[in-house]
Amino acid sequence: MLAVGDSTQLEIIFSTKRYTSRITKTPRIETNVGPPHKNVRITTQVVRRPDSTYPVIIKPYKLDISQFGEKVRDQMKFTITNVSEQDLDLSMVYFPTDLVDVSLPASVSAGKSAEGVLRLKEPALSMSLEKSFTFQLNDADGSRFTVPIKRTIKNPSNIKKPGVKTKAGK
Amino acid sequence: MKRAVIVIVVFASLLLTVASVQGVPRMELPETEFNFGYAPQNSKVSYVFWIHSTGDDTLLIKKVVPG
Repeated sequence: MLAVGDSTQLEIIFSTKRYTSRITKTPRIETNVGPPHKNVRITTQVVRRPDSTYPVIIKPYKLDISQFGEKVRDQMKFTITNVSEQDLDLSMVYFPTDLVDVSLPASVSAGKSAEGVLRLKEPALSMSLEKSFTFQLNDADGSRFTVPIKRTIKNPSNIKKPGVKTKAGK
Repeated sequence: MKRAVIVIVVFASLLLTVASVQGVPRMELPETEFNFGYAPQNSKVSYVFWIHSTGDDTLLIKKVVPG
């Protein structure tokens, strides 16, 4: 129920499975406004070989920042390699701002690599999640890339917050 | 008989008043499309769409049907 003037978020999750082509999905939102119901549309170009994309290659192409021990994993680096002959500018399109921060290089010269960093925010430290971020290039096609983020925590109750010492640590 | 007619007229006008006071729900989606671009197989990607209730009555989201 959404009161007059209120807003809410609708998260659409798409599992790329073993698709090998351009996929479009149109989830339907059914409300008391009645038919015709409204749809949103998502499009994805699922790639089978993410280690050989063009014009950039992202390594790792999935960011798995899982944590199975007591040592806090709250950030992860990734590399973007420009395999084209044109210098490329990068711009962030979407990332889950409440859970992560993503530092993206502003540009990557032709044939060069640049580093980006994924940092988990406080709420994400104690939870398992599967999200993603999307960035865009300034090439002729305006190519977009989406990088999945996965975090699994074996025992969330044992996770220590960074900067907080337990009695045992004194 | 005359009294009955008056009661009916009053009741009918009351119904009309209630109907006109009750608002109409309305949903606004500022954005309806998102392109993920290239994404690897066997992973989950996600995007958040905003939904605004801009009518005169409460918006009830009954369900979202995968497309």
